[in-house]
Amino acid sequence: MTDKKFEDLSAWMDGESNSGMIGETCSDKELSAKWQRYHLIRDGLRKELPQQLDFDISASVAKAIEAEPAILAPRKGIRDIPVIGAVVPFLRRGGQAAIAASVAAAMIIGVQQLNQPQPEQPFSSAPALQLPGMQTGGLSPVSLEQTRALPRTDAIEQKRRINAYLNDHQRQMRLKSENLQQTESDKETEQK
Amino acid sequence: MTRLPALLILLVVFSLPVLAQQEERTDNLAKAWLEKMVWSLRNLNYQVSFVLLYPNGDFEPYTWRHALVEGEEMEHLSLLNGPGREIVRLGDKVSYFEPNVPPYSLKSDVINGPIPAELFRQPVTLGQGYDFVMVGTSRISGRLAQQLRIVSKDKSRYSYNLWLDKQTALILRLDMLDMQGEPLEQIQVTSMQVTAEPDEYFSRIETEKMPPEISPINGQSEKPDWQLEWLPTGMTEVRRSAHRLPLTGQWVDYMMLSDGMIDVSVYLQKLNAVPAENGWLQQGANTLLSLQVGDMEITVVGKLPPQTASSIAKSIRFGGPR
Repeated sequence: MTDKKFEDLSAWMDGESNSGMIGETCSDKELSAKWQRYHLIRDGLRKELPQQLDFDISASVAKAIEAEPAILAPRKGIRDIPVIGAVVPFLRRGGQAAIAASVAAAMIIGVQQLNQPQPEQPFSSAPALQLPGMQTGGLSPVSLEQTRALPRTDAIEQKRRINAYLNDHQRQMRLKSENLQQTESDKETEQK
Repeated sequence: MTRLPALLILLVVFSLPVLAQQEERTDNLAKAWLEKMVWSLRNLNYQVSFVLLYPNGDFEPYTWRHALVEGEEMEHLSLLNGPGREIVRLGDKVSYFEPNVPPYSLKSDVINGPIPAELFRQPVTLGQGYDFVMVGTSRISGRLAQQLRIVSKDKSRYSYNLWLDKQTALILRLDMLDMQGEPLEQIQVTSMQVTAEPDEYFSRIETEKMPPEISPINGQSEKPDWQLEWLPTGMTEVRRSAHRLPLTGQWVDYMMLSDGMIDVSVYLQKLNAVPAENGWLQQGANTLLSLQVGDMEITVVGKLPPQTASSIAKSIRFGGPR
């Protein structure tokens, strides 16, 4: 009977037997010990043994799980919140941090400093060209051949100023509709 | 033999009004499509994924949701790469959640995103500066699409190709093309779902807990009496202000021009010791042009060709209209 049991186990490990062995192996101590040894032998034969032999990690894992305190939900820090799909906790935080009106007013100055994804690189390599004499009114052609490269007196300063303008342009576009509504309501009140 | 030229002339004479009529009809048809688009953008529940492509090969993937919840519009635009940028609109309040900046809200009835804001308002007003042309039907993002062309009347601005979903008239693709017809910025929808019920996402937004609304601070202009004598067809001055540049802290006089498709910023700055640098550069579709006039430096920024930016800058006059 025992030999038959071990034979079945061996056959199962070779993938030749039915899956009914799972329950049996789990409940039968002798079988599970055998199962463990078979695998060790197999690994040894295949030269797949790990450098350090921890013969039974299952017992230590079980012990560790038992010792672990129950954690209901992981505590999240600000940095841990993935931005994508997690606006809601973000909003909650924003609401809780009751920002004083003065801070809010100052905020607009800082708005948009780092939200432009690609401000840095293209500028350093972008051509800065001087325009030829142009006439006012209507369109006048800008010829790339006629233009000449700008003497780079202070490249960093120039880049900083260019960024400042592009940055402000983005900011103004956001503020645009607000002002539009304001002027519209101004007009309405004027009419009244 | 003499009959042939006469016939030809007759043919030409008769076909002219027909052609004109046809043109008018496609114009009206295009406007009808745009009207339908605005209605759908404002009233349908949709979830859209799209990619914004830049000419240098950079791209930005976005998720965009919109819903009408109890008569109020809710919209969410999210940049999916990098540290991200979340924009939520509830009615006429737009809240920005961005890295390194405390969240804030602005009053606006549209999100100022990659799609021109006027397309959400009254695209027909674009007709002052642009012509609409019906092009044809093609397949975009697995859907049947109607293609429209939007071309500036005086050829001073970039043109657009717009593809709208045949069923809903929602935007499937939008190309901004330079004067040579090369793409500058492209928006390509990769997936679109239109649903009867609002997206579950919106039920999780806590309306009361949005960040506080802020309003811009305006200073007094140093030289309020400056005018632009030339503007591209359909472009108007939408506002003026004087404010500090956030990065350098310099005071500038500011004027915003808009034709609906693009917004153009004109800056006026008094030069102190530093000489101005006359020049221009292009970053993506944006042009930045600087010009020195007297002791003032004029800077024009916007998605327009450098030639046009230059013409705008050159047309500046001080001391009120002559």
